[in-house]
Amino acid sequence: MSYELVAGLETHVELSTKAKIFCQCTTEFGGDPNTHCCPICMGMPGTLPKLNKKVVEYAVKAGLATNCKIRNVSKMDRKNYTYPDLPKAYQISQFDKPICYDGYIKLSSGKNIRINRIHIEEDAGKLIHEGGDTYIDYNRGGVPLIEIVTEPDFRSIDEVIEYLEKLRLIMKYIGVSDVKMQEGSLRCDVNISARKKGDEKFGTRTEIKNMNSLNFIAKAMEYEFNRHVDILESGGVIDQETRRYDSALNITESMRDKEDEDDYRYFRDPDLVNIIISEEEINKLKVELPQLPDKKLDIFMNEYGLPKDDADLLIKYKKIAEYFEEASKGIKNKKLVSNYILSQVYRRMPTDSDKEECSVSLPPKYLGELISLLENKKINSSMASQALEKMLDTGKPVSEFISKKDMEGIDEGLLREICLRAVDENKEAVESYLGGKEKAFGAIIGYIMKETRGKADPQKAAEIVKEIIKTS
Amino acid sequence: MSKIKKLQKLLESKEITCAELTERYLQNIERQNKTINAYIKVTAEEALETAKKVDEKIAAGEKLMPLEGIPMSLKDNISTKGIETTCCSKMLQGYCPIYDASVWESLKNQNSVLLGKTNMDEFAMGSSCETSIFGVTLNPRNTDYVAGGSSGGAAASVAGDMAVFGIGSDTGGSIRQPASFCGLVGFKPTYGTVSRYGLIAYASSLDQIGPITGSVEDAAIIYDCLSSYDPKDSTSVGSKTGTRDKIKDSIKGMKIGIIQEFFDGINKDVKSSLEEAIRVYQDAGTQIVPFEMPKLNAVLPVYFIISCAEASSNLGRYDGIRYGYTSDAYKDINEMICKNRSEGFGKEVQRRILLGTYALSSGKYDAYYKKAQSLRYSIIRDFKKIFENCDLILTPSVPVTAYKKGQALVDPIEIYMMDICTVPANIAGLPAVSVPCGFDENNLPIGMQLIGNNFEDYKVLNAAYQFEKLTGESFLRPEVEI
Amino acid sequence: MITKEEVLRIAKIAKLYVKDDEADRLIEDMSTIIDYADAINAIVEDRDVEFDDINNIANAYNEDVVLPSYDRDEILKNREGGENGYFLVRKSLRG
Ligand SMILES: [Mg+2]
Ligand SMILES: [Zn+2]
Repeated sequence: MSYELVAGLETHVELSTKAKIFCQCTTEFGGDPNTHCCPICMGMPGTLPKLNKKVVEYAVKAGLATNCKIRNVSKMDRKNYTYPDLPKAYQISQFDKPICYDGYIKLSSGKNIRINRIHIEEDAGKLIHEGGDTYIDYNRGGVPLIEIVTEPDFRSIDEVIEYLEKLRLIMKYIGVSDVKMQEGSLRCDVNISARKKGDEKFGTRTEIKNMNSLNFIAKAMEYEFNRHVDILESGGVIDQETRRYDSALNITESMRDKEDEDDYRYFRDPDLVNIIISEEEINKLKVELPQLPDKKLDIFMNEYGLPKDDADLLIKYKKIAEYFEEASKGIKNKKLVSNYILSQVYRRMPTDSDKEECSVSLPPKYLGELISLLENKKINSSMASQALEKMLDTGKPVSEFISKKDMEGIDEGLLREICLRAVDENKEAVESYLGGKEKAFGAIIGYIMKETRGKADPQKAAEIVKEIIKTS
Repeated sequence: MSKIKKLQKLLESKEITCAELTERYLQNIERQNKTINAYIKVTAEEALETAKKVDEKIAAGEKLMPLEGIPMSLKDNISTKGIETTCCSKMLQGYCPIYDASVWESLKNQNSVLLGKTNMDEFAMGSSCETSIFGVTLNPRNTDYVAGGSSGGAAASVAGDMAVFGIGSDTGGSIRQPASFCGLVGFKPTYGTVSRYGLIAYASSLDQIGPITGSVEDAAIIYDCLSSYDPKDSTSVGSKTGTRDKIKDSIKGMKIGIIQEFFDGINKDVKSSLEEAIRVYQDAGTQIVPFEMPKLNAVLPVYFIISCAEASSNLGRYDGIRYGYTSDAYKDINEMICKNRSEGFGKEVQRRILLGTYALSSGKYDAYYKKAQSLRYSIIRDFKKIFENCDLILTPSVPVTAYKKGQALVDPIEIYMMDICTVPANIAGLPAVSVPCGFDENNLPIGMQLIGNNFEDYKVLNAAYQFEKLTGESFLRPEVEI
Repeated sequence: MITKEEVLRIAKIAKLYVKDDEADRLIEDMSTIIDYADAINAIVEDRDVEFDDINNIANAYNEDVVLPSYDRDEILKNREGGENGYFLVRKSLRG
């Protein structure tokens, strides 16, 4: 019997505001334990929260970038549960009136993954368990999050991974999060179930909590799906439960500490007031949104004629995509620019964070100037490559490395003169060539290149030489 | 007559130094607090330090700010940096806030002289201070009786001449009821006009800080100082100041509403005092207008559903991990938290947490919390309508006078019924004052309540002030020589 | 009328223990109050008030500006037993 995987995602994205969501402590990652804290984010008796305006703005932007509707009036609710990482014993979140709802992200297959809602909430502190003791650091407590909840639209692990990659990219493009998975600024809960192919009804689902690596998500899902199938195949029943993924053992296991029935007793937080956003404000944020990765991909492929693989690589990092756009201004052959970026420039940014920052010191404009010379055949590709290396080393323009005279290239008259001389002074080679030795032709071109210090276009030179030999 | 004004004159004219004044109050506390139990902590050192500062200012010929140099008390649910703040709960014994409540910050900036923290029902849940771990506060008018609650210590500190004014908090009548029991003025301002930042929450949407004083003018002076916009409190709206100037306006032509249900079943002495008060107002040229309040019977259920629900959430944070009571034996974190809470909270607090948890729990939310919210706003709309046709509503403050100590009511419903007159103002966020208006057969004070429309705090105090004048201040405490 | 099971379930959520010898009294008190509160269900009032606000305030915001946090000593002031700047919950105490 063949089974189909059904999954839905709840993704927590940490927003990259400077200050926390309800106080003005820094959101900076790390720091010595309990040094990014104040009475408010510590939930000390008598303190009151006040919402960071930027959090609302970022959440709306995230909603707009994922095709969501934005609620003109929303509110903050309390989600009550007692756990040592939650100093107020409630998380301020949004329950029945999330700020964004009804959106979607389109996968490359054309399939839409529907987004049910995006809501604002606060992060909890961090517990470290050691030898049975628990150490608590509240630095992360009160860092703003958005939670993006999809419908159970995923039918494969690949779809989940593609969705997450897209989501990450969108969040990065719109600048609301740095989405560093290793720092936990994107974390995922996966709801997963299995059903017989062709069945309409969903199977019982389990939820795998709090994963922050695509690799682990894929592995956990694979394990969990197989576990479901095995149970169903042997006539068993799936318990609806919360599970955690153990990456060392590559298994999921039931979270027994979560076994106690949750009753979050949501109600509107009486310490906070309504969030009202006008259509004008929404439109203003819409206008501020940068071009999204999908749109860029479309332009790169369909207007600039780049192959999909190249376009994919370029849009993967917003700053590289922008570098490309800047460098290729006024260049007809965009592929030429892309080639140099994806080879030589790329090599200068070995790490992910280098690429993230597009850390090369060479201004894109200078790269454009170089490619323009190449495109207009003022220089040849090997000259361009060599010059680019020096340019990347120094951040200086092409004029520093190729003289003005050299950049002017060789006009045809001069080239013809040199070609005539080359035929004249390489009689032996001409003979050999005419005798059928193709190789000998290279010597003639080599002479020309040497004479012109590499400036000649070898193809053009070859044409002229052949013409001279033929007519002589 | 404003005691604040009078004392400041004495200070400015150097008839008495602030240090001497403070010393006298400290001596009064020394003498009486053992019996009355108004203060649970006296901050003599800090008080004298502040007094010294004030004396230096006076010596330098500087003008005093409105509350400068005035000895006062703070209820123990108002956070004071470096000074233990317990809410009179075992849960918070030894807890020292690391920040100041906004009201205390402004009083501090005025060099008000803090004499100490006053007794209250545990987490402000009660009406006699009997749920305090520090025990009951007695009524300085007659120590066979309680001072009331939950701001009982605040009221007793003023009634016993142990402070010029006390700052309390009022969630369902906790300022007005003890003020009424002790023959004082107790004022609950419009919700949002005085910052709640630093007030340890009981029920966030109902809590409001306000003064307990010997006269209406003092209440107005304090209100003017405390009612300002506070960026730290999202629900803060601030208020126009200058209330103190407006209280002396004529009340001729003012429309005063009477809702008969508030007078049903009340103590006969309270009733006759109130009737007399209404006559005083009529004689002063006001118009008495009858109104109906059909949803009055919903007010108390709505109040305790909402207050308990909010409390159950607000008090969730007391797990004993970051501060507060810790039990000395447990098996795991969950047991530790449960033990800390079960041993740290008193019975009444636990009962309200349980009721609130129940009202919010799945399957019960719609029938209780949601319904109560819906009714709350319906009651608010009813009040709005009433205030379209009158300026103020006059009611008793409490249906009875002070209870004899040790004779507090046992039936929970009967206890809650005593809040029927005060609770509506909290439900609707309205300003309300309790002013002394008579004495019962045991010579215990009776209080009259005036409720105003939102942000018409000045009107409430205006009518109260004129009542004081019209009755020749005869219900005020006799002035005590200082 | 609230049942004992309900009270125990609620107590578990509220992280409170209900002692056996107190349970009956507590249940009785809670029942009295809940029955009294049930009176509101007789009143027809179903208006949607989820966005109603006493003073109609909306949009009270902080700007996204960082202010210095508190000294850690202050943050940990009310709890001894912290280690290396962490709050510490020991596994068990004489449990
Ligand atoms: Mg969440
Ligand atoms: Zn903070």
